[in-house]
Order: sequence, then structure tokens, then C-alpha cells
Amino acid sequence: MNLALRHQIVPDSPVARWDARWKLAALLLAVAAIASLDCLPTAIAALGLSVALLIASRLPSRWVRPRLAAFLLAALPFLIVLPFTLDPDGPGWALFSLHVSERGLAAGLAVACRCLAIGSCALVLIGTAPVHHTIAAAHRLKLPGVLVLLAALAYRYAFVLADELRRLRIALWVRGFRPRATRHGYRTLGRVAGAVLVRGADRAEAVAHAMRCRGFDGRFHTLTSFHTNSKDVILSLVAVLTAAALVIWDRI
Amino acid sequence: MPMASQDGLQTSGLTHVYADGRKALDNISFRIEAGESVAIVGPNGAGKTTLFLRLCGVLAGPQGQASVDGLDPADPRQRKKLPETVGVVFQSPDDQLFSSTVEEDAAFGPLNLGASVAEARARAAEALAAVGLADAGPRVPFQLSGGEKRRAALAGVLAMRPAILLLDEPSMFLDPRGRRELIGLIRGLPGTKLVASHDLDLVLDLCSRVLVLDGGRLLADGPAAKLLADAELMDRHGLEVPYRLR
Repeated sequence: MNLALRHQIVPDSPVARWDARWKLAALLLAVAAIASLDCLPTAIAALGLSVALLIASRLPSRWVRPRLAAFLLAALPFLIVLPFTLDPDGPGWALFSLHVSERGLAAGLAVACRCLAIGSCALVLIGTAPVHHTIAAAHRLKLPGVLVLLAALAYRYAFVLADELRRLRIALWVRGFRPRATRHGYRTLGRVAGAVLVRGADRAEAVAHAMRCRGFDGRFHTLTSFHTNSKDVILSLVAVLTAAALVIWDRI
Repeated sequence: MPMASQDGLQTSGLTHVYADGRKALDNISFRIEAGESVAIVGPNGAGKTTLFLRLCGVLAGPQGQASVDGLDPADPRQRKKLPETVGVVFQSPDDQLFSSTVEEDAAFGPLNLGASVAEARARAAEALAAVGLADAGPRVPFQLSGGEKRRAALAGVLAMRPAILLLDEPSMFLDPRGRRELIGLIRGLPGTKLVASHDLDLVLDLCSRVLVLDGGRLLADGPAAKLLADAELMDRHGLEVPYRLR
């Protein structure tokens, strides 16, 4: 099993020591600011700063690289399509018989940079504190309780469902099934997806029963305590002011 | 640790019909005295889990059919007090360990009951020590072995100090050593215990009395050693006489 959020040891770094509440608030604002950037230079600057934060986090590169690649993959369609579809009559270059638009290429690159910058911030958030600390921080920041609870349960049960999926794959394998692009193959995979969904629903019901038996009334509680010092505040202010500066530069 | 039960547990004509019309429990009546350890045995689909869900108030039903330490699980106002009175350990510990760490999970119930963080932490530590997981607090549940998960799930219930414990297939997924440890652990717990299990050797170790349930009906109620040795009764209800009584 290799889930994106699999619990791992958090390497010590200034970013790891940053109070999870301040870090979450600052990075959420930074992500919102990055998502609002339009121009390529500001998107490149945002990517540079995010990668610098990622490096300062001292996260293992073998953990970071495949996850960043997944973010790049998400941006790839924009990088491929926009240069050929946006502003087709504007300035650009000829590539075989196709016209590559300068504006389209810049827009595609900006999307890719924004995507990677947001991905870097997300990895910093996930990798520099145990996920349950970040979830508790979200609760302390008064984010909607249902969302916090859903995040906590999703984190806990993603591993259980992944294990079930692994067992189903083994069960298929030992009965001779090999995934192929045939009608039988698609039908089998559809049934496996259905079985995982049904098991997930069964489990959700059983978990709800167990929670109610232990007095759950819809409110999220946690034992996690937080301590803020001046470094946390300064770090957060730097992050938010930098994000604000990027947005202003982008708008000028 | 569980509190002392005052009134035990009683059902009177307890019946449960699911929305699809299937009758899971049919006119079940029994009384379990405070401090007694009783087993419910029966084949799959006998209604054991449904009975537990009715007794802990998860499944709704008509009022007046059950009394758990003096509380009616079908009465919405009394049902709110049930979590501090009755603790349920479910079949699959994965369904019960829903928090991010073992300590958070053990403290989940006390926090819901209104305990302060310090009190919840103390209760969680006490419960985890009682099940032999004193050092497992910071661990995440999916890193635990099957036996540890079972004990952590039990700790989550013990931290609420319930007077009555309902244990649904407690030895499921356990290896012989884990099973032996669990039997010792459950046997040492005070309070009223109702154990649903197919593991009849475990039943002999833990309970002096047995209720035989099949097809939603209560078919026998008597001393464990006598009922479990009745080969015809066991065979008729999809069970087997435990090795020790053969």
C-alpha cells in the first residue's frame, strides 16, 4: 500500500516546528493567493518560493518527487491544449503545421507553475506535521466541523479501504484474472469498484454505530494542544505578506 | 474501569423488524442480574448483533421492551445517557478505531461525555494500561496488529467506565495467544457482561450462563456447561459442543 498521505516520520525543520494552526492558516491564504495569479512571472515566482519552502522543510526527496509529478500530471492537459487553442491568431511559432500561440503557452506554463506551487504548499502542510495535528489545527481554526470530521475519518479509513482493495486484487489474481482491455476485464473491474463502494458503505454504517455508542453528538473533540511563540507569528506574517505582494505584483 | 451496574439488563418481548420486513428479533425476554456474565450463542444471522444494537439504542424500536441499568434504549431522552452506562465492543475493531491515534481514540468517549482534556487523557491512559497498551498512545491504529487493535477497541470502551459491557465476537481475528490474553483481560473486568460469540470455548471460560438464539428467537437459557454439552441442541442450531465438554 502506498497512499499519498501515509503516516511517516516528520523530519525536524523550522517548518515542522511552526505551530500547526498558524502554518495551516498562512498556507491556506498563500494557496488562495497563488490560485488567483494570472501572469507567468508571478506564477514562476510563486513556484520558486513554494519550492524554497519545500526545501526548508527537509522532506525526503523520494517522498516529494512522485507527489509533485502527480500535480504536474494534473496540469499537463492545460500545458498541451492551451498553446494550440488560446489566441490562435496572435503572435507565436509554427510547429510543423500547427500554430503555437505565445499567449497560450504562457497561460499553460502559468497553470503548471501554479499547480506545482500549490502542490508544494500542500506537501509542506502534509509532510511537516502528523496529519491528525493538522486536522486538529483546522478544528481549532474553526473550520466547518463536518469538513474536519470528514477529513479525519477519510484519513483513517483510506488505509482500511486500500487494504480491502489490495485483498480483492489478490483474490482476482489467484483466480487467474489479468487486467486486459476486454469486455470481461472492464466488467470485472467495474464489479471490484462496486464491491469496494458497498464495503465502504457497510463500514461507514458500522463506524457510525460505534461512534453513536460512544456518545458522539456530531462535535469533533481532540486531545491535541498547541503552543504559539513569536517565531510562529513572524513566519506566518512573512508567508501572508509575501503572498499578498505576489497578488499585488500580478495585478499591476 | 467499568462502574458497578445497579439494575443489570432486561428485555421483555423484544422484537425488531427491519425496514425490508425481515424479523431479526422475535419476542425475546430475559433478565441478566448486575455483575453477571452471560453469553449469547447462535448461528450467523441469529440476531445477536441486532440485539446488541437495540440494547445500546443505535436501532430504534418500541419503548418498554428493554431496560439497560434502568434506562430504556428506545426512549430518546434516556438513550442520551446510555453511552456512559453501556459499552459495546464490535466485531471488527477497524470499525471502532476511527481516531487518528490510539490515545485520541481511547479519549473519544470521555470527551463526548463532557470530560475535560486532562480528565479524558487520564482516563485514556488508565484504560490503555488496563489492556496492556500503555505505550501505544501515540501510535496510529492501522499500525497495530489484530490483537492490539482488539485491545485498543476495548480500551476505548473501558475509558467510558460503563456499568455494562456488550462484546460482539471478541475473539474474532485473534491468534491463540491474543485470544488467551483477551480472555484473561475480559475475565478480570468487573461489571455486567453480555458476550455474543461462536467461540464456545471462550464462552465456557467467561460465562456461567448461556442464551441460545436462532432465527431471532430465544430458544434456550441455562447454565453454560449444561447447554453447551447438549450435542443435539448445539447441532440443531448450527453449533458444536466445545472440545472440553466432549
